[in-house]
Amino acid sequence: MTGGRCHPARPWGPIPGSLALVLGWWLVAHSSGQGWVQALGDAVTAAVLLGLLGPWLALRRARVEIAHAPLDGTAGRPVEIALRRSAGIRLTPVDPPGPARTEGALEVVAARRGVVTSVTVEMATAAPFGVQWWTRRVVLALPHPLHIAPRRGRPGAVPAPAEDTAARDVPDPRPGPFGDLRAPRPYRAGDARKSVHWPATAHTGELMVRETERPRGQPPELVVDLPADPAAAEAEAERALATALALVDRHGAVLLTTTEAAGTRRGVVADARQAGRRLAAAK
Amino acid sequence: MSGRGGIVEAVRRANAPKPPEHSGRLRVAATCSVAVSLLAAAAEHEIARSTVVLCIALVSAGMAFSHRSRNRTLGWVKVGVAVGALAAMGWFVEQLSGGPVGDITSVEDPLTILFAWVLVVHSFHVPARRDVVFALAGSGAMMAVAAAQAVDMNFGLYAVGWIACGLWTLLEVGAAASGGGRPRVRVSAGSAAGLMVAGLVVFLLLPAPTAGVRLDFRNAAGSAGPVAHPGALAGDAGSPLELSHPGRSSGPTGVGGFLGFAGSLNTAVRGHLSDRVVMLVRASVPTFWIGETYDHWSGQSWSATDTRSLVLDGGSPFSVPAPPSSRARPGVDDLQTFYIKDATADLVFHADQAQQVWFPAPRLYLQPDGSLISPIGMGQGAIYSVDSSVQQPPPADLRAAPPGPSDSGYTQLPAPYPDVHQLAVSVTAGDRDTYDTVQSLIAWMGANTRYSTDIPALPPGADAVRQFLFASRTGYCEQISTALTVMLRTLGIPAREAVGYVPGPYNPVTDLYQVREEDAHAWVQVYFPRYGWVSFDPTAVVPYANPSPGATALRIVGHFLARLPWPPIGVAAGGMGAAGLVAGAVRRRRATGRLSPAERAVRQMERAGRRAGRPRTPSETVIEYGRALAGGWPEVARAVDAAAYGAEEIPAAQWGALLRRAESVAEREAAPA
Repeated sequence: MTGGRCHPARPWGPIPGSLALVLGWWLVAHSSGQGWVQALGDAVTAAVLLGLLGPWLALRRARVEIAHAPLDGTAGRPVEIALRRSAGIRLTPVDPPGPARTEGALEVVAARRGVVTSVTVEMATAAPFGVQWWTRRVVLALPHPLHIAPRRGRPGAVPAPAEDTAARDVPDPRPGPFGDLRAPRPYRAGDARKSVHWPATAHTGELMVRETERPRGQPPELVVDLPADPAAAEAEAERALATALALVDRHGAVLLTTTEAAGTRRGVVADARQAGRRLAAAK
Repeated sequence: MSGRGGIVEAVRRANAPKPPEHSGRLRVAATCSVAVSLLAAAAEHEIARSTVVLCIALVSAGMAFSHRSRNRTLGWVKVGVAVGALAAMGWFVEQLSGGPVGDITSVEDPLTILFAWVLVVHSFHVPARRDVVFALAGSGAMMAVAAAQAVDMNFGLYAVGWIACGLWTLLEVGAAASGGGRPRVRVSAGSAAGLMVAGLVVFLLLPAPTAGVRLDFRNAAGSAGPVAHPGALAGDAGSPLELSHPGRSSGPTGVGGFLGFAGSLNTAVRGHLSDRVVMLVRASVPTFWIGETYDHWSGQSWSATDTRSLVLDGGSPFSVPAPPSSRARPGVDDLQTFYIKDATADLVFHADQAQQVWFPAPRLYLQPDGSLISPIGMGQGAIYSVDSSVQQPPPADLRAAPPGPSDSGYTQLPAPYPDVHQLAVSVTAGDRDTYDTVQSLIAWMGANTRYSTDIPALPPGADAVRQFLFASRTGYCEQISTALTVMLRTLGIPAREAVGYVPGPYNPVTDLYQVREEDAHAWVQVYFPRYGWVSFDPTAVVPYANPSPGATALRIVGHFLARLPWPPIGVAAGGMGAAGLVAGAVRRRRATGRLSPAERAVRQMERAGRRAGRPRTPSETVIEYGRALAGGWPEVARAVDAAAYGAEEIPAAQWGALLRRAESVAEREAAPA
């Protein structure tokens, strides 16, 4: 957790009001000269001090850590991030934004696709008396990047699969993420959920997935070139995702070419998660 | 234009309806805060108890109604609350219209009722959390009004109760603001601890609330009745029941209270001074609270020469004209308020030179020396305020002051004191001004005399000053101050004896000095032409006497024994002795009654042998002992033996005859030839 300084939130109500209360009490004490007025005024002053500065102290001592975060999300849809947090602190995600919550997981809603490596949250508390809110912005590093895929837009034109005789003659025994079923095998981390082979799982008693062989022919290629304008790029990415998924549905896979920060990347994707991650990272 | 619009917008935003508050506990806590504040006001007699009970019931009902209707917008409730508040304000203004402007004492009671009424009306429209906080703030205002009247520690009960309820309310506010639920235990405990620590720090840092702003001049009549002779000092008859002698009639003199608050001060008699609180005093300058002064010394007693009083009438506040011997320069302004806790003298105690007095009587009596006498009894509950000019000239100014007139009445002495004069001259040799002379004499007192309230009685006809300076050199404030006054007078320096109270212990919570009976004091006033009468306290530098432990213990035991009621103790002791004798006789008779005739005969034989100087030895049988005694006793011994071992029944008459015969033979043998 890396954080900035604590700030009072909208201080022009509580602070002058509290000071006016203390000043008024002091005036009564010093006009009457009565010790009990001052003694009570001391308690009121202490309560005001505690109410104004207590949240600052609580905020400085508050701790928030990310316990678990998902790998993937979709723009415009909430993503829940599990936290370990101090009690009584209100957390409001700022980047990506999200609703304020006093307890439970953090919910962020990214408006656009992208790769999120940290979450900026605003911590706030008015403890113990609810007199004055204090806020503090902190940046919570995610344990791993969160890929926010674009929304699925309208797909472009998708060509029908053609009989590729030349490809049929080429033997290609290597397993791959798409192609024909080779045999069920035990589940390994990273395997797609949709590749689970349920009959084999039921038969063996452990989670089994389909292992496929690459098809004899090359999948269709989709080249995504996003414009510089963010809004136009987002719309283009949404359309690219829809097109890519349509191609995957029809051809089993698509050869996706995108431009990332490190340069142009060309690779086969066979499901929505892979496509989403590629488009999340695309520039 | 935009600025005005911004303000309007800010006001509109501030007055916008807030979301309803759903916490019932928060409302209960706020209601408790309001109830405690109302009870505190009632305890300080600011509002009638019946009114408080009604207010608490109405506030509780109002809070319940507000909770039930929190989700609804009830326009007629708002209108009703506004009308109620306006009516209360109108009533308050009407109450003030007849009274003097600026007199806070006439505002207090209507203000309290106004606050109570506002609290009641407001409780019926408390939909949001902010409104509940306003109720808490209102209870704070009520507590401030009550605290402004509180002078003793009993108010602490209400203060602690209100702080606890207020803390509870604030914690509920905090919990509601953080999403609801109960306040967490850790947060509550930490807040309570933080509140205590922060409150203590603020308490320690802030200066005492001196009544610098002249708004509150308290005066009220107490519980004591009228005095027998208004304008005259009570207590001259010496009765312990008189107002000037409050306290128990105990101690060596059998008189309670300080005897100096009367027409004279006899230095040979000391009343019993207890630690009972006589009055509470709020003052911006802690100083002596003077009662009266004496100018005439008789060798044993002080008295005032001129006791003609000037009547100050016209009602409170009384303006006190400066006495003829007053100073020319004004001193430090000091406003004091005296809260009488127990019956005391009819003197109006004050600091230094009184200028204005707020007193609950139609008139006051001013003595030529500046003393003020009350025409009413100064009983519990009496309150009065005095605005005084306190003279605190620096020593350099006093050194520069010219000497006072040596031919005034304040250098009077009953007879020449050549020995005292000689002593004063030797002590002050080299001093060139009055101030240094006084300081030298005070220093001498500190080095050569000892303070003790347990001093031997003044011998009949002896001069108290000579007895103190040349014989005992031990005394208390009256002997010490009298000796200094007389020493100054022998040097031609005008001085007088003053009596009153020292401030007593200071209570930091109530900001009041607790003046106890034992704080009664006597000190010296010396006249400086440009400054008037300046007080000096020689007793302050005199160390305590350090008598031997044995002598002190014997004196304590002697005092204890002397105070015991010997006649009843003697009667009781005699009765107990007689009862013991009777009990012993009864026990003996009962023991003897249980013996057989043979055993009784043996006892009688043994007694006879002891009388004859031949007690029975442990190894002797009855037969052997009877032979040793001879006379008729061998026959008795045989009868005993026969009765004990022969189972021979001997009639009682025969026992009597045998014993009588033996006793008569023994008497004959014992008789001189």
